[in-house]
Amino acid sequence: MAMALTTSSSLFISKYSPSSSSPSPRTTPFLGFSLSASTNKPSLQSNRLFYICCQDKSSAIPAEQQWMFDDLTGPDVWNKTWYPKAKDHIPTSKTWYIVDASDKILGRLASTIAIHIRGKNLATYTPSVDMGAHVIVVNAEKVAISGKKRTQKLYRRHSGTPGGMKVETFDQLQKRIPERIIEHAVRGMLPKGRLGRSLFTHLKVYTGPDHPHEAQQPKELPIRDKRITKQT
Amino acid sequence: MNKKEVFKLAKGFRGRAKNCIRIARERVEKALQYSYRDRRNKKRDMRSLWIQRINAGTRQHGVNYGNFMHGLMKENIQLNRKVLSEISMHEPYSFKALVDVSHSAFPGNKAAAAPKKEGLAVLL
Repeated sequence: MAMALTTSSSLFISKYSPSSSSPSPRTTPFLGFSLSASTNKPSLQSNRLFYICCQDKSSAIPAEQQWMFDDLTGPDVWNKTWYPKAKDHIPTSKTWYIVDASDKILGRLASTIAIHIRGKNLATYTPSVDMGAHVIVVNAEKVAISGKKRTQKLYRRHSGTPGGMKVETFDQLQKRIPERIIEHAVRGMLPKGRLGRSLFTHLKVYTGPDHPHEAQQPKELPIRDKRITKQT
Repeated sequence: MNKKEVFKLAKGFRGRAKNCIRIARERVEKALQYSYRDRRNKKRDMRSLWIQRINAGTRQHGVNYGNFMHGLMKENIQLNRKVLSEISMHEPYSFKALVDVSHSAFPGNKAAAAPKKEGLAVLL
């Protein structure tokens, strides 16, 4: 029933528009053709002309203007906000970045890494989907820190049982497990939740200059922070 | 609402909330309240997502979101944030042109304030 109405209205348009374009000055601002065809008809059908939904687009646009509206068959790209499909974030085709942590300020480095892992530097950023890249950090034990934090910054952990808090300084942790310092910093800057935990697995930290990811052909991580290297 | 309508709305709920009427009725009421609230929140969240995407897109060209929008307002370009975010994703060259237009209209505040440090430059 609805299809029959729209096809009949389109027939009327193609029949009346060439002849009645000159005498009648009443043209619609949107479609640019005259309304004289629809004044004879009940108001229900004239309302149908302006209501363009995705399926009826081809019938409501006049024949001479159809070249302006291309690709009426596919999804509406311009009116619906883009959401990534599975092929837009295939794990095997993610970019890999490498960064050397020697003499870089800890927090500023961690912030840049977290932005790239989360994907916030990309225009296709989506908060619910992992659109980010992988980051490899080498020379983790040489990361720099300003002020007296080397002896004063405390790393705490709690085992869960009463009196089970363990505290160690930055220096002690760096001697024991140097990778954990950068991991702790970046984990605090990633979102907490299921997606955040899986993003954290995209960070690879190594002591020393070697890493086992040569096959991924990592690129240099672009750092825009001017104050990230330690000023002597 | 009678029980049949409640159970129809409770499809997909966890545990007893989809099977037992006393629990389902509470959960369905809450779900309808959330959907009322979130129809209004969705508009805010979408705009926030567009702004984040535009920010990421402009920062790739060295301009941040605030300066970009200020430049567009100065040039009276009335494209809304939804369309700007779609352009930044699907039409990168057109978006670069927009960033250039905005940058020429408003290069940023630091460009104007930089020469003031003449006197302090002795200390650096």
